[in-house]
Amino acid sequence: MYLVPMIRKELVAASAEPLILSLLSKGESYGYAIIQEVKARSGGKLQWTDGMLYPVLHRMERRGLIKSRWAESETGRKRKYYSLKKDGKTAMAKHHEQWSLVHSVLAGLRKEQYV
Amino acid sequence: MLAAGIKTPVPLEELESHLRDEIERQTKSGWSQEEAFKSAVQKIGPAHTVQNEFEKVEETKEERKWKEGQIWSGAILGFLQLISIGAVLFNSDMTLGQRLSGLAAIATSILLVAAVGRLSHRVFPVIRAQRTRTATIVILGNVPGIIWVGIFTRFFLLGHEFPFGQYLAALLWANCPPLGVFLGLLWEIQTAARKKVAMAGS
Repeated sequence: MYLVPMIRKELVAASAEPLILSLLSKGESYGYAIIQEVKARSGGKLQWTDGMLYPVLHRMERRGLIKSRWAESETGRKRKYYSLKKDGKTAMAKHHEQWSLVHSVLAGLRKEQYV
Repeated sequence: MLAAGIKTPVPLEELESHLRDEIERQTKSGWSQEEAFKSAVQKIGPAHTVQNEFEKVEETKEERKWKEGQIWSGAILGFLQLISIGAVLFNSDMTLGQRLSGLAAIATSILLVAAVGRLSHRVFPVIRAQRTRTATIVILGNVPGIIWVGIFTRFFLLGHEFPFGQYLAALLWANCPPLGVFLGLLWEIQTAARKKVAMAGS
């Protein structure tokens, strides 16, 4: 069996923002839930260092891509919920465009390898 | 977390909420409270790395504020200079010579702000501590200023009768250039310290 190598740091870092934006576009969420969902969706391969997510979220909030509010859950737990802003939607679209471009070039080259 | 050495600007409340969620998840899967706590804290990552990341976010905000501050200061000073120039040009009591002299005083002060601001770092020491800087600026700004105004008033204003034009030109020459030097120094002290601190932090 071919072992899948760990995902490169740079790729994890570069994909963080588009992933966060895309997740938040489906509805507001909080830090912990975002980490768990990314982990689940990637089959455990994208395990963000918990402490690294929050600076990213704060930077994005500062740049006006997302906004936050404190809310209390039914159990009385206070959590900071983030949601997408209009600038964030625009940024997300741009990310999608760029990722699709890179992906299509790579996929095209790969196809040629097997011709 | 405070014990681990994390200080502001880390959002402690948010991280605490995160820890609680993680501990809850782990205790549900059977870990003991203590093990869950240790593991959760570890997962956050090394304290200094987390803090560094948060400091980087704060730095950009400070950079922007500094730039904005400089622009605003420049705009306000420029406006004041324009008023001074207007006063020199549009009053009816100055001879041509006096007007030119007054304009020269204003121009000199502007040049001094730029020159002292950009060049004095070769002579003036860099003061890294914010509080020492503020104290230096307050003392440098007020003590010589008060002494100078005192001397000027006592020996110049009160001692002689001047025609208005000459009086205004002399006033400008007495005050604008020193003010220019002071503002230049102020600018330089802040800029040099920020550069040094930024280099040390990266």
